[in-house]
Formats: sequence, structure tokens, C-alpha cells
Amino acid sequence: MSTNLQRVPVQEAYDDLLHRTLSRISSDLGRLIYLASTRDYNSGNYHHEGLADRFSEEVARKALEDAHRGFFYRVSGQSLEDLAEELEIYLRSSREDAGTFLRTWHKLEPYRIAIPTDVDPTVERLFLCNVRLALAILRLRQEPNPLRQ
Amino acid sequence: MISGFGALILAVLLLLLIIVWVRAASTRREFPFTGDGLRPSDDKNLNACPPEFVSRIFGDDDIEFISRLKSSQLEKLFRQERNAVALVWVQQTSSAVRQIMRQHLETSRQSEDLEFATEASIFLQYAQLRFICAFLFALIDLVGTQRLRSLAIYTVNLTERIGETQRAFQLAAQTREISSARSS
Repeated sequence: MSTNLQRVPVQEAYDDLLHRTLSRISSDLGRLIYLASTRDYNSGNYHHEGLADRFSEEVARKALEDAHRGFFYRVSGQSLEDLAEELEIYLRSSREDAGTFLRTWHKLEPYRIAIPTDVDPTVERLFLCNVRLALAILRLRQEPNPLRQ
Repeated sequence: MISGFGALILAVLLLLLIIVWVRAASTRREFPFTGDGLRPSDDKNLNACPPEFVSRIFGDDDIEFISRLKSSQLEKLFRQERNAVALVWVQQTSSAVRQIMRQHLETSRQSEDLEFATEASIFLQYAQLRFICAFLFALIDLVGTQRLRSLAIYTVNLTERIGETQRAFQLAAQTREISSARSS
């Protein structure tokens, strides 16, 4: 009963997050990275000031967690072609030099922090594999010679 | 005295066993699980991977896209990465199946009226799944994920079926327990 009562505000907070914040981000990969950035590195808890003000800290946390997991599964299930496209959109939105961006992502693997806790281990591995491949594809498009035969 | 053909079969079996063992060891190193293949206190890992992701891992779409890019290095990287994901999936499936069987044995021990047909069906499904997992482990690197797609889909379906059989068995055992407690 209490779980059902709580689900309604969580769903409302989720919809609010989707329409007010996430709709402004141009790609699912960007949304995923944004949601991961709302998670505290030390405690693993999610925080969003505006959402917590409109609902409650607890409800906002749960909505962010659900959204993070949902977008993670969505991005992980994308085809490589779509993910490479998403990565390119994200790269352009970062306004960083493409070469620097690709080198940094290849070296530091910052996308690892985009993985929510308690996700399916195979999907987690698929996500990492696909991002690495998408990076290699963009590097190939950037500098055709190194990866071409 | 073993004939030449027998010796060849033995050698192939031994080679397959070594491949399975080496793959299992390297996958564990790369993806540290606990002894029975599961992360501690993580119940979600008891479930099999969602089928749509298995279709993606063993599907053709991504390799066709990679082939269009005409880079042998990229193709090589793709095969390495996908094979590694597929091996993790095999290990996860194998762990999930072992866990289902453990739950079944626990329920069976507490149950007084076991049905031979149900027990035989669960055991056969279990044995089949363990064999397929070992087979997949050995073959993924040798033949690639795309050629094993049908077998992977079959494994997903069979894992779902053994899980459902176990759940139905557990539910029946609980119902019997409740009704016997009420009647006594």
C-alpha cells in the first residue's frame, strides 16, 4: 500500500524530470551522462535541487535513479550505428575539440561512471564494449588512416 | 587399445576442455565474480540477461555496419569486444541456471511428494543448459557470435523455461505446505 502511494509522486517527479530537464538534452547518451552526474560519487545517492524542492529529497532521488537506469538500458540496447551517431551529437554539444575529446575518452574512459549500480552484468559489459567501439568509429572518421587496412 | 579415431575424439574433447577452462579463467580475471560466478549479495545477477540484449550481442546488424566501414582493425576490435561480452553472458547464464537448480534442490528436499516427471524434466533441462553453456564457451572465439545466434536464443528460451518450471514447482510446494498446515 505505502509502496503504491509512493509510486505516484515518483512517477510525477520522473515525468517532471523528463519534460523540464532531459528534453533539453539532445541525445540519450547526453541524458545518461547528465543523470550519472546527479549521483554523488561517495554515497551513490542522487540529488537534484529543483526536483527535490518540487517533490521531496527521497522522491527526487528515486526518480533520478529510475531515470538513470532506464536511459542506461536504452543506450545499451542501441545499435552501434545509432550509438556512434549519439556519441557524435554528444561530442558536438561538448564544444570540445574532437581530437582532444576522443583521446581523453579513450584514455580516461569517463563513460564508466555512467553505469548505474545493480545493473545486469552482461548489459554493463555490452555498454562498455559499444562505447569503446563507437569511439573507434569516430576516430576512424576523424583520421581515416590509422584504423583502415 | 584405443583406435586412431578414438584417440582423435579424445584429443578434441581434451582441447575443448582446455579452451573452456582457459576462457573461464580469463573471463573471471576480467570480470571478477565470486566462486560460483555471482557477485556477493546481488540478487539481480541471479536473473538471466534480458533477451533483447542477447539478440543484440549475437545479431548481425552491428557487424554489417562495421563491415561497411571497411576497416580490418575495427572489425578485429569488434569481434574481440563482442566475444568478450558473449562470454560474460554465457557465464551469467550458467550461474543463473546453477542458482535455479540449487533453489530447486532446496525445495525438493522439503517436499514430501515429488513427481518423477517434473524432476526428470528439470534435470534434463539443467544438464542440457550446462552442456550448451560449455559448448558456447568453447566456440564463441572459434566461430564468432553471429554463427551461434540460434543456439544463444535457444539457451535464453530454455533458461526461461527452467526458471518457470522451478517457480511453478516452488509455488505448488508452498500451496501444499499451507493446505497441510490448515488441515492439521
